[in-house]
Amino acid sequence: MAAIGVHLGCTSACVAVYKDGRADVVANDAGDRVTPAIVAYSKNEEVVGLAAKQSRIRNISNTVMKVKQILGRSSDDPQSRKYITESKCLVIEKNGKLLYEIDTGEEKKFVSPEDVARLIFSKMKETAHSVLGSDANDVVITVPFDFGEKQKSALGEAARAAGFNVLRLIHEPSAALLAYGIGQDSPTGKSNILVFKLGGTSLSISVMEVNSGIYRVLSTNTDNNIGGTHFTETLAQYLASEFQRSFRHDVRGNARAMMKLMNGADTAKHSLSTLGSANCFLDSLYEGQDFDCNVSRARFELLCSPLFNKCIEAIREVLEQSGFTADDINKVVLCGGSSRIPRLQQMIRDLFPAVELLNSIPPDEVIPIGAAIEAGILIGKESLSVEDALQIECSAKDILVKGVDESGANSFKVLFPSGTPLPARRQHTLQAPGSISSVCLELYESEGKNSAKVENKFAQVVLQDLDKKENGLRDILAVLTMKRDGSLHVTCTDQETGKCEAITIEVAS
Amino acid sequence: MLLLPSAADGQGTAITHALTSASTLCQVEPVGRWFEAFVKRRNRNASASFQELEDKKELSEESEDEELQLEEFPMLKTLDPKDWKNQDHYAVLGLGHVRYKATQRQIKAAHKAMVLKHHPDKRKAAGEPIKEGDNDYFTCITKAYEMLSDPVKRRAFNSVDPTFDNSVPSKSEAKDNFFEVFSPVFERNSRWSNKKNVPKLGDMNSSFEDVDAFYSFWYNFDSWREFSYLDEEEKEKAECRDERRWIEKQNRATRAQRKKEEMNRIRTLVDNAYSCDPRIKKFKEEEKAKKEAEKKAKADAKRKEQEAKEKQRQAELEAARLAKEKEEEEVRQQALLAKKEKDIQKKAIKKERQKLRNLCKTWNHFSDSEAERVKMMEEVEKLCDRLELSSLQCLNETLTSSTKEVGKAALEKQIEEINEQIRKEKEEAEARMRQASKNAEKSAGGGGNGSKHWSEDDLQLLIKAVNLFPAGTNSRWEVIANYMNIHSSSGVKRTAKDVIGKAKSLQKLDPHQKDDINKKAFDKFKKEHGVVPQADNATPSERFEGPCTDFTPWTTEEQKLLEQALKTYPVNTPERWEKIAEAVPGRTKKDCMKRYKELVEMVKAKKAAQEQVLNASRGKK
Repeated sequence: MAAIGVHLGCTSACVAVYKDGRADVVANDAGDRVTPAIVAYSKNEEVVGLAAKQSRIRNISNTVMKVKQILGRSSDDPQSRKYITESKCLVIEKNGKLLYEIDTGEEKKFVSPEDVARLIFSKMKETAHSVLGSDANDVVITVPFDFGEKQKSALGEAARAAGFNVLRLIHEPSAALLAYGIGQDSPTGKSNILVFKLGGTSLSISVMEVNSGIYRVLSTNTDNNIGGTHFTETLAQYLASEFQRSFRHDVRGNARAMMKLMNGADTAKHSLSTLGSANCFLDSLYEGQDFDCNVSRARFELLCSPLFNKCIEAIREVLEQSGFTADDINKVVLCGGSSRIPRLQQMIRDLFPAVELLNSIPPDEVIPIGAAIEAGILIGKESLSVEDALQIECSAKDILVKGVDESGANSFKVLFPSGTPLPARRQHTLQAPGSISSVCLELYESEGKNSAKVENKFAQVVLQDLDKKENGLRDILAVLTMKRDGSLHVTCTDQETGKCEAITIEVAS
Repeated sequence: MLLLPSAADGQGTAITHALTSASTLCQVEPVGRWFEAFVKRRNRNASASFQELEDKKELSEESEDEELQLEEFPMLKTLDPKDWKNQDHYAVLGLGHVRYKATQRQIKAAHKAMVLKHHPDKRKAAGEPIKEGDNDYFTCITKAYEMLSDPVKRRAFNSVDPTFDNSVPSKSEAKDNFFEVFSPVFERNSRWSNKKNVPKLGDMNSSFEDVDAFYSFWYNFDSWREFSYLDEEEKEKAECRDERRWIEKQNRATRAQRKKEEMNRIRTLVDNAYSCDPRIKKFKEEEKAKKEAEKKAKADAKRKEQEAKEKQRQAELEAARLAKEKEEEEVRQQALLAKKEKDIQKKAIKKERQKLRNLCKTWNHFSDSEAERVKMMEEVEKLCDRLELSSLQCLNETLTSSTKEVGKAALEKQIEEINEQIRKEKEEAEARMRQASKNAEKSAGGGGNGSKHWSEDDLQLLIKAVNLFPAGTNSRWEVIANYMNIHSSSGVKRTAKDVIGKAKSLQKLDPHQKDDINKKAFDKFKKEHGVVPQADNATPSERFEGPCTDFTPWTTEEQKLLEQALKTYPVNTPERWEKIAEAVPGRTKKDCMKRYKELVEMVKAKKAAQEQVLNASRGKK
């Protein structure tokens, strides 16, 4: 069974397939693993992808870009208003719906954003079918965490119209975590993950908690003013000033020349992620004059450093929002094409010195791969509706046990972390010196990181009359089971003698 | 490394306090296999530990494979491959003792063992005779494996497992040993359940919740048992699509029928168990006892309350009675005292009177002549009557202490005073009488003093008009005013307003005064007509006296009856009024005639008055 994961971004779309137990991105007919999410309307055809991007210099008014920003939004939404003013393609309102007005010479056409999205999804489907055959239509689609119900349903409708069988819509940060398989190996343990997604037009940072293999978004922040296009634009502005310096001519007022410069800057930006310097050569940029310029990585980083600083600032903000410090984050996941930028990665590393930075998967492929993995999990499942399962009971506080470490000081160990989906069972093998005949487990509850106090002790389990051993340690197996209402059952067993004590602690009503 | 400390002496397992916070609801991302597992667990209502147990079980089964003992099926070699449907596939593979509990791995292993032993090639090598083609019994083994290796087919076969005991114990069987009879039956049937961990029947000491859960589970039993194995026709054998469809339809119908029977069987089983279950009886009885106890307690409380009330009431009554008695006693005492006093006074006065008389006698009544003496005696008697005790005593004293002359003077003076007093009283009484009569006259005339003078005649007329046009008449007061203007002799023009005002004031006057007016009217009538009506009175008095004396008002019912009778007996009916009187119970012929006349008059007057009003209004227009 094969399944598909699709990520539709503002600037580009990417499709991955899940086949034979692994997920991989599929390259499109042009050989690119990422397809620009651009649709160009011409006299008798609609072109999706790279061709549309290349032809936009000549056909700017009939080329629809960044359709995701307007999808499922009403005309009075501030974000769609901003989009309408920026869009090169005319957007009108008709019957309360926003439509693109396409003028291909012969007649005017009105195209809805859903229709544009449908064309992109169709292209993605074609790409996926090139490796899977035409009968695989089950798909999981990713959406940003801040998408509303309307936008989600519009996206889902577009995918359905393209012939997909939508299994589920999942959030982009969760897909990123899933791509790295975080928390999927064993259903115990708890960790905090920061997802840094720098896409074409927006930066979104989320702090996720993974507990028992289940993901939760703790806090999130989206900035629509930082993205790949902003880097490109900065570089293009620099190139324009360079052109002006050598040819004494300002091309900034010329839309066509600027578009050419943008294309050039885009390529240069991409190569700067791997090379120390990039050459930007543009034929007859203005009045037949060619433009040739070399940009070093250092120059690019200098130009974009305000934007980089903004990114780092955004991370700090999210951390503050969730009440964490950099030390509380266990892993950082990078996704979105622009997080390839070496300087940015270095800055993040500096911010989280002790944390593993996950970037082994190409960052713009992380999200579709996660979606494909989720599709692989879901495929063949009978009931897919999860609305009633999105709210689940979780334990509210950490359960700790008190002991002494080697130096003899009191220390605590978390046996049952807070936020564990209930019902749950955790089992720990604890050690006690063999020379003592009784063992006492003192159980504490605590909230957050502040260590347990005496008044937080809620129970103790004592195992008496154990056989003494001259040297060595004895193993005590502690099993904690918490029910959905939060009541706790603790069983302690001495592994050697099989002596056993059990208590049940109810929740104070 | 964390080491657990040892317990202090005397410390035991204990709970210091309950957990302070319950579970919290969290929004989670619907992503990942653990989320799916979680949702699945929740939907199946199984706990996490259950899933783990299941996994463990599978592991242990795998390890058991090596120990699997195959049972040789003695009839194997006599089986007919054509009759494969009726063979016991488990027995053929040597799994007759494990049956539906056999794992896929076991089945595979068993098949392998059987093939090694019974393959035709092997047997040929051993020199055994082999039947041609498919007829060899080895085909049965292949078929058995075919059936059992496919989970769907295996389930179909398991559903109709020939060794399964479908019987349902009857109610009478379970009378005495319910648990012994039903426990194995439920155990046996629980294998059909779609849900795992089927509740056990339990024993006599099971809690109410357990028993309830048990029966609700079995009443909503979700069975996977299906009967496709018993299909009579084989779909694969059909030659064309239509035939295949027909076969499918047949099969489906029979399967549904069998499934229904199966559900009925389960239902009967649970019904029987429920009705025989001694625990249910026990619970019901407990419930009943509880209810009764509650009822009794309620009744007790009510009775007590009532008793308390009764007591309080009686106490109150007693107190009231005592108070009353006391009061009465006091009153009696007082009365007694008063009487005594009165008696004393009476005696004293009597004594004084006697004394006065004696004194007078001794003084020979202060006169010599017989006539004077008699008069004096009269006066003295008068004195005795009227004078009070103190003045009598005073008089007596003067009489006894002084001489005859002084005494006489005093006596005469007293007598004079008395006479004066008597005269005055008389005068006063007369004056009072005069005043009263004057007042009466005044009040009689006073009624007429309105804004407009209302004469006796007019009042008379007004009363008549008001009675003639009862409430509800169209523009009643105007009609009345009109009637007054026409019939009045005083010539004063009256408006409806005047009439209303007067009628209201008349209404306010007590009926006594009304009577007065009527009487006066009659007097006047007498005065005007002189003696004539008196002479007349002799004859008509007979006629009017009767109805006048028992002049009871006509009720609406009687009125209706009368009207009906008037209609039924038209004018030319002989002895009409007798018949009408018969039709109206409680009324004589006279009554009826009188009423009829009144009605006629009323109707006529009404009509006339209304016409006049109409004419007036028309004139105005």
